[in-house]
Amino acid sequence: MPTQKFTRRNFLQGCSAAIAELAGARLTNVAFRQDNSSADTLVVVFLRGGWDALNVVPPMAGDDRGYYELARPNIKISNLLPLNDQFGLHPALAPLHGLYQQGKMAVVHAVGLNYDTRSHFDAMEYIELGTPGQKSTTSGWITRHLQTQGVSSILPALSTSGAPSSLLNFVPTVNLNDPSEFSQWDNGLAASQQTALRQMYNGETLLHRAGIRTLDSLGIVSPLVEGEYQPSNGASYNDDELSQQLKTVARMIKLETGLRVATVDYGGWDTHEYENDGDGGYIAELLGNLASGLSNFYLDLDSGYTNKLSVVVISEFGRRLVQNESYGTDHGHGNVMFALGGGVNGGQVYGAWPGLHNDQLYDHADLAITTDYRQVLSEMLAHRLGNADVASVFPGYVPTGEMGIFRE
Amino acid sequence: MLQQKSKMNRRDFLKLMGAFAGASAVVTACAPEQIPGPDPTRVVEPPINPTGVPPEPALPPVALGIIALNRMAYGARLDDFDAFNALGATDDERLRNYVAQQLNPDSIDDSDFETRYAAAGFETLHKTQDELYFDHIASNPYNSNDDAYWEWYSKPAYELVDATFLRAVYSKKQLVEVLADFWHNHFNVYFWQDDGVPMLASYNRDVLRAHMLGNFRQMLEAVATHPSMLYYLNQNNSSDAGPNENFARELFELHTLGAENYFGVQDPNSIVKDANGIAIGYVDNDVYESARALTGWRVDDDIYEYEDGVEKTGHFLYYKPWHDRFNKLILGKYIPADQEDMKDGRDVLDLLAYHPGTARFISRKLARRFISDNPPDSIVEAAASIFMANASAPDQLKRVVETILLSPEFKQTWGAKIKRPIEAAISMMRAVNTDFTKLPGGIPWMCSMMGQAMFERRPPDGYPDVKEAWANTMSLLYRWNFAVGITENWMDDEEQQRIIRTDIVAQTPAELRTAESLADFWIPRILNRPMSDSDRQAVIAVMAQEYGTQEELPQDHIDYVLPAMVEVILMSPDFQWK
Repeated sequence: MPTQKFTRRNFLQGCSAAIAELAGARLTNVAFRQDNSSADTLVVVFLRGGWDALNVVPPMAGDDRGYYELARPNIKISNLLPLNDQFGLHPALAPLHGLYQQGKMAVVHAVGLNYDTRSHFDAMEYIELGTPGQKSTTSGWITRHLQTQGVSSILPALSTSGAPSSLLNFVPTVNLNDPSEFSQWDNGLAASQQTALRQMYNGETLLHRAGIRTLDSLGIVSPLVEGEYQPSNGASYNDDELSQQLKTVARMIKLETGLRVATVDYGGWDTHEYENDGDGGYIAELLGNLASGLSNFYLDLDSGYTNKLSVVVISEFGRRLVQNESYGTDHGHGNVMFALGGGVNGGQVYGAWPGLHNDQLYDHADLAITTDYRQVLSEMLAHRLGNADVASVFPGYVPTGEMGIFRE
Repeated sequence: MLQQKSKMNRRDFLKLMGAFAGASAVVTACAPEQIPGPDPTRVVEPPINPTGVPPEPALPPVALGIIALNRMAYGARLDDFDAFNALGATDDERLRNYVAQQLNPDSIDDSDFETRYAAAGFETLHKTQDELYFDHIASNPYNSNDDAYWEWYSKPAYELVDATFLRAVYSKKQLVEVLADFWHNHFNVYFWQDDGVPMLASYNRDVLRAHMLGNFRQMLEAVATHPSMLYYLNQNNSSDAGPNENFARELFELHTLGAENYFGVQDPNSIVKDANGIAIGYVDNDVYESARALTGWRVDDDIYEYEDGVEKTGHFLYYKPWHDRFNKLILGKYIPADQEDMKDGRDVLDLLAYHPGTARFISRKLARRFISDNPPDSIVEAAASIFMANASAPDQLKRVVETILLSPEFKQTWGAKIKRPIEAAISMMRAVNTDFTKLPGGIPWMCSMMGQAMFERRPPDGYPDVKEAWANTMSLLYRWNFAVGITENWMDDEEQQRIIRTDIVAQTPAELRTAESLADFWIPRILNRPMSDSDRQAVIAVMAQEYGTQEELPQDHIDYVLPAMVEVILMSPDFQWK
């Protein structure tokens, strides 16, 4: 185990000291992870805007390479990093190629939300609620996963950017982007103010519950995050938005507060123009940040944590096969997902490939979907997150077969 | 310096922007007289509630003035509540008079605000659209390798942020400010949109504010022809050779019909038509055809310098060489080839602006802003009927807003929303009479920490308007921290001589010396109503500290603790409802 400023025992003591300051504290929903919990920590990286699957993992050979090049004369990607004899990774993903070769990362192609929409907002909502076609669902898929598990840890869910629908109505979620900013401004009377707030936020509305959660989180996070964070194994996080969020997640995982799920958002993938205008283009920058962020995150946690880590990378849809005149691509359908972690059967590309001939395309325009995104998540739930109750997490969905992306 | 400094080239803007996209279709058919009933072919789905999320408990009712001032305004300033109550003998009369006054902003004496605005000394906000383009883009006097270039480039947009806070805190034309915020979110343009950052000041003024009490069809064309939107959603380089669908898609999904009228990827012929032969909802094909209809709608800029007929004025330009001249089929309407200039695109705007689905979508969003996160169908239908019946009226949107504000649903709802972060921040400054003229950068920075940086929503959907988006730990914590920062006077930017002051003690009658009396002065002063007994006791306890609640407090204790007590009232759940 890594050397940490706070061991778990120290943490318990520090935490109770911090909490003791909060007179009248109600700690009913705060308890520690059970020692026998063997589930992975899940990290969901959601790439907002619809990443261009066909330029992330393009076909490398055969007829499909021909269709691809014909459709994308100005934005096609060459110099691919081979995944197998059929597909390669965009060269900006070189750091992830290393993880793939080491068997720590798997690629699922022609996967996605099998529902007829090309709307960002509908597609994101369906995916995150876990109920394609139903936007009125009152909880996210991760919410239902955690609730069916009966999670009782002190900090079960973390979101580093906003309030994702996948965690809709999961009250214990802690939302913070930078732990060092997560403290109450104090003129010397903050403890007394917190006592008053705890009394005033004692209620049943969403707002009341969020207030209590904020107070609890202050007691948990603030005492733990003093000083600069030192990543392990020489990992070095860039300044981009994604890397900084992943750094926060790594830091929180290492605090061993029983973090079960973290959600991370990274936007800007809606590449309607200048996707690849000769010198790598806009998408290369995004992919470079993604690869750097994820590989450093993995390196940082390869200090005793990756055997209990499952990362999935997902986006709301892929993009049109044919480029538009702005050297970009418009909204499409089939997509690609990544899975990383010690329990991933990596080094493989999963999923039946539908082909890129016009007759093989969805709506004669986009990569078709042969694997429902819930298939990937269901396998992960069953094998890595200790949750066989897929029917509760994805109501109405029945997984088909088993792709074998994750080890037991 | 807290405020984000801009130093970026075009590629950097692209990176920052991450914008989204869309298109549309034809027909000058007049609006139907009557709004058709709900589409019978659409299945209303029952909510899936697999985990038993409890319904929100109801809150105790509050006075109508509190409802009005928290929803039609950014909360009450000192005396606002009394002024509302003086507007009539009954609640209905007061509300009618208040709405009438606020919907006729020119009738409001706003001289105190105007004096303050003049003192703020904005350098760029008086400039016309052409002047903004010329001074800050085409003829920026600085070298683009210098910070000065980018400071001058982004100055109008930063001044717009400052001015918007100034207006929201001090202007008496509060409904105007609330509506400007609503429409900027509805027709969202991201601050750092590609190529045209200085134009944001024009977009907000010349498009949104100019039309938001006017006619929706006119507003829609103003949006679709303004450089800010043309740049943001990539319409600026959409040509017949390969239309860019970004603007067209969002025009349908976000600006007019809404996702509630989107039928997905389907055969357009399979969609039911109304009595006028217009499809009751849209499919992807309508987006593609509309993208074609809008090709050639662009900015007269120098992106493609070799072109004839492009002069770099920053105006809207209909560029015929890029227009797809062939026929289109949009929402069931046939659009012939070779129409006159701009007619294809205008037909699309007509089809959308006069569609009953748009009337409902816009009405639902307005009702969501003014009444409840989940507004009742009754008010949506009532407002949509007014929208349709006044489709060509010059004050169509004013009538729609008036319908919502005078509705029984408006009067009877309380606490079905919480203030969004910017609203919370502004209402705190109003409640404690905070004084500033030049806005310190820390104020917008704090809003970004709460998750709502002004004009910086990157996707085109605007910031969420439901409480689930804002009732989370980081956002709430910085809402609380904002109360502390404002009240303790920690937000100055001394380097820029931007000072912000709140003097709680000076606003407190000197004869109030006990924790109880100080709490009982400040609670109604901020909330215009009492708190529950247990909340009141919590406030009193903060004030008393080690003293008794009715014990006379020494002046140094009052000086030190009273701001902290006021902060707790600003942090309370009662202050967040609307």
